[in-house]
Amino acid sequence: MSAFLIRRTVHSLIVLFVMSVVIYGLIGLMPGDPVDLMISADPNITSDDAARLRAIYGLDQPLWSRYVNWLGAAITDDFGYSRLYAQPVWQAIVPALSNTLILLISSLALALAIALPAGIFAATRPYSLADYGINLAAFAGISMPPFWLGILLILVFAVTLGWLPAGGTPDAAGVAGWWERLQFLILPVSALTIAGIGGHTRYMRASMIETLRQDYIRTARAKGLSESRVVLGHALRNAMIPVVTVIALDLGVLFSGALITESVFAYPGMGKLIYDAVMGNDYNLALVGLLMATALTLLGNLLADVAYAALDPRISYEDLDA
Amino acid sequence: MTSLKQIMFFAGLLFSIASFPLQGAAKTDLVIGITQYPSTFHPNIDSMLAKSYVHGLTRRPITVMNAKWETVCLLCDTLPTLENGGAKLEKTPDGKDGIAVTYRIIDAAVWGDGTPVSADDVIFTWEVGKHKKSGVSSTEGYRRILSIDRIDDKTFTLHIDRRTFDYNNISTMGVLPAHLERPKFQNPEAYKTQTTFDTDPMNPGLFMGPYVMREAKTGSHMVFERNPKWWGKAPAFDRITVRVIENTTTLEANLLSGGIDMISGELGLNVDQALAFEKRHGRKFNILFKPGLIYEHIDLMLDNPVLGDRRVRQALMYAIDRDAISKRLFGGKQPVAHTSINPLDWVFAADVPTYALDLEKADALLNDAGWPKKADGMRANASGEPLRFEIMTTAGNRTRELVEQVLQSQWKAAGIDIRIRNEPARVFFGETVTKRKFDSMAMFAWISSPESVPRTTLHSEEIPTEANNWSGQNYTGFKNAEMDTLLEDIELELDREKRKQLWSRLQHIYASELPALPLYFRANSYILPKWLSGITPTGHQFPSTLWVEDWTVGK
Amino acid sequence: MSGPATMAIETPARAVLGRFMRHRLALFSAGVLALLATLSLLAPVFELLLGVDGEAVDLFSRYGPATAEHPLGTDELGRDVLIRLLYGGQVSLFVGLTATFAAAVIGTAIGLMAGYAGGRIDAFVMRVTDGVIALPVLPLLIVLAAIDLNKLGLPETILSSESISLYRIVAIVALVGWTTVARLVRASTLSLKTRPFVLAARAQGAGAGRIMLRHILPNLASPIIVATTLSVGNVILLESVLSFLGLGIQPPLPSWGNLLTGAQETIWEAPGLAFYPGMLIFVTVIAFNFVGDGLQDALDPRARDRRAAERH
Repeated sequence: MSAFLIRRTVHSLIVLFVMSVVIYGLIGLMPGDPVDLMISADPNITSDDAARLRAIYGLDQPLWSRYVNWLGAAITDDFGYSRLYAQPVWQAIVPALSNTLILLISSLALALAIALPAGIFAATRPYSLADYGINLAAFAGISMPPFWLGILLILVFAVTLGWLPAGGTPDAAGVAGWWERLQFLILPVSALTIAGIGGHTRYMRASMIETLRQDYIRTARAKGLSESRVVLGHALRNAMIPVVTVIALDLGVLFSGALITESVFAYPGMGKLIYDAVMGNDYNLALVGLLMATALTLLGNLLADVAYAALDPRISYEDLDA
Repeated sequence: MTSLKQIMFFAGLLFSIASFPLQGAAKTDLVIGITQYPSTFHPNIDSMLAKSYVHGLTRRPITVMNAKWETVCLLCDTLPTLENGGAKLEKTPDGKDGIAVTYRIIDAAVWGDGTPVSADDVIFTWEVGKHKKSGVSSTEGYRRILSIDRIDDKTFTLHIDRRTFDYNNISTMGVLPAHLERPKFQNPEAYKTQTTFDTDPMNPGLFMGPYVMREAKTGSHMVFERNPKWWGKAPAFDRITVRVIENTTTLEANLLSGGIDMISGELGLNVDQALAFEKRHGRKFNILFKPGLIYEHIDLMLDNPVLGDRRVRQALMYAIDRDAISKRLFGGKQPVAHTSINPLDWVFAADVPTYALDLEKADALLNDAGWPKKADGMRANASGEPLRFEIMTTAGNRTRELVEQVLQSQWKAAGIDIRIRNEPARVFFGETVTKRKFDSMAMFAWISSPESVPRTTLHSEEIPTEANNWSGQNYTGFKNAEMDTLLEDIELELDREKRKQLWSRLQHIYASELPALPLYFRANSYILPKWLSGITPTGHQFPSTLWVEDWTVGK
Repeated sequence: MSGPATMAIETPARAVLGRFMRHRLALFSAGVLALLATLSLLAPVFELLLGVDGEAVDLFSRYGPATAEHPLGTDELGRDVLIRLLYGGQVSLFVGLTATFAAAVIGTAIGLMAGYAGGRIDAFVMRVTDGVIALPVLPLLIVLAAIDLNKLGLPETILSSESISLYRIVAIVALVGWTTVARLVRASTLSLKTRPFVLAARAQGAGAGRIMLRHILPNLASPIIVATTLSVGNVILLESVLSFLGLGIQPPLPSWGNLLTGAQETIWEAPGLAFYPGMLIFVTVIAFNFVGDGLQDALDPRARDRRAAERH
């Protein structure tokens, strides 16, 4: 077990390192540099200014030497300075990260709380009317363009009904209680939840149907156990394996994928931060943000394998080492 | 089919009338919506509209251009002029024509922590500004100042190395608090990351305006409260919150749901959104449109041999109906541009050649230039090459995309084939335009101040090349000896009447040579609650917040 | 799908069709998709019938109401909404179908080779796959948006065409979207290559290429088809998201994604302009999902829904 973990961690670190090179290269390949953008915004920048600014930001050096410099500093825990946010990279990331985590954890929890029972319920009555209904609802959630959904939610609950704020985050001065703070979260969390329920429901249903076909379930039924004991007592544990796997694998995507929801609801999270950093040519911030997303994806992969093995005694760690 | 029904229900709601929260009797708070969050809060590093907007609440420049487009003092006592003796002609140490300008900072002016705003602050700002490693974006203005004499605590004299007509305008210099910033400037190279503006942005000592910043949540909002040490007229609101909402649909929703009270014109809705808003909610809000110095135009690549022919450029102008675009798309709020000079600018020349839609003239010019129409109505030259141009602009800017499609359709009617190829702003401004990589047409806007000399866009020395680090903004590659001379002369002509003649000549050359196709001047649209008055849009780069103390509640 | 029967596909075509037909929702969805595709392809015919030009801008009839000439009214530039939606459908469906097809081809090739070769090659390919999955799409898009295509030696007709943004998106999706299919194919190949019929073919001296193409590939058809169908919808959604970010299909070429994005700024003024493309995207994506679901049932009745349980 620990040998497996160590080996996989080393693999992940190598992939992470390669990705840092690839991402740095990609950002470097993007046309123009920060100074070009400054020049187009400020007519007073002269040729001398341009040369001076490029030197200050180290843009006069070749890409590889900038990368080596960054890597050298990063190893000593200095991830550089974000030009766009005018803060050390880490300081810019922390608030966005905590915002994103609040958003993701609550919407994931909510989505699972709805999706898992719905999926199990549908699986126990395959091809019934209820199953069709749940399927339809699940697909409906997945199939809506995310910004359309966001705008519809705002139109209904903020503009027409006036129940909830249309976006943003609470300010410390104007807002007192936890309810006021919570209000700002309801719409973005709902949007992400609606988009997330479908996938989880489908996986849960599929996995449960598959499990219920297994011989040991037939045995359990034959012993005269009640259906709910069969489903919840015997089948659930095995049926959860692929569901947990899929959740773990999705971590990285979830992390940077809330971009649309974040921008529709003016919610300052990681998706928006990474997007702005890429668009604003903020190398250090974009690199660290993207690497965090990558690291999370890899971690998700690792967790998925661990969970897979932990939940399913038939799988040994050796099998997983492709 | 529950979800389907829900959608229908939502769609039905789209048509229903929005409800509005009732306004309280005494408003002490104001919430403003804007579309951009400032990056650094340092006034002289990176120029950015969002930053000047919020700095309008917290800081005051020494001089500024007001809503009547005159230079006035905000932090200084009286504006120094040659007439009132505040400015004196002199020779520079190496014998050139220079000028000495003396300012006196208002006696009562203090920073938010009580320290007086002094001549030493100005001298320190100049030291930072001209330092090669400080990270200040544009050092030109600082380097033109040869020396500064400290007369007393509040008075200082600038010795400037040339006599420009706007000698007394130092509005781009954001005065820094020396008592906080000097220690940070010990190591100039690290200054841009160590400045108090970014390491301790809530420090009241950074501000000398009516408000100080109390909270700044990156990407979300900033909260401003009364500056207890403010030395001018007291503003009406105890607290102003500036919320940043990039998506304009959400911005509008926030206004309708009461999340914000007003939408700023400087960074807010575009004109067609504001017009639509006016139609639906005009009775509940005041909507101000202020056309200004945002010049939308199409830069033409003059190195392209086809566009190098002036007849083709003029024909392009005759073939489009900018009047219809202005009236139909923008409700007449965004006036047609004839040159880069706005009609509201006092140097505007009313008699420049103009180009109304005239397909016959376009036809004659193009035939003359060797681009007759073929059987299918499109044009080609003798060797059969089609008359085809590629127009580019910033992808995702809906107004520009719409205008582009209208132009494409109008040019098609004149037999000119237009291909649209847009790029993200990041690529368009970061590479295509700045490195002159567009093939024929690039549509974008210049934002300027009144009577600003278009030297960087029209002077032949300002054509970006690898050798000059891609600086300069003469992206079209326009070379005209008379234009070069005019640009140099205007800057140094102190006599208003003579200067106006030079300006008139400049506009005539521009309108007949057409290095760029002028389209229209953009208007800022302010959506304000009925109970708020006193906001005066300026129409140029200085934001309305600089006069926040004049904003009042009630009639 | 009539592969040479080295090994009979478990399910005869008739039975597959029968099971698919029983899946009423999937059948209905397939009908909806066929209808949408036909209508989209017939856009020029509708243009003729209605006597309107889909590209003609008319600034005097902006936001026009529904009339006999313009059944769904006109848009912000006075163009016919119905015709724009139909042409948009051509683009959106084209992007969805070609991009997923390209991704499926790449994924199948990579998965087949990795699975068949095994060992170090397999391990290496799978680590690369992990990397691609973690690859940030956004900077990739911007980089591709700026690459000087002249240098790639593409023909002039493609370069100067306004559809260039369309090919760009197809290329991006193909470049990053092959991983799902690759993993799926690899896993199945690993198990198939030890089956008796493959071993027999190898014993008879068949080359690796022949075994992969003639013996293994036909048995992979159903999972590939299912996965591909399910991802068509995702690509159509992705295109709408990219349009929202200004990185999608560029006007004047209409796609449902950019029609929807363009309309959201005027959603208060003309809600219909946002409603129609949004609804079309929604219906199309959900229909592709149901068809994929139905195909899965039909092609693989026993291993139904095992897809979710499949791991590399």
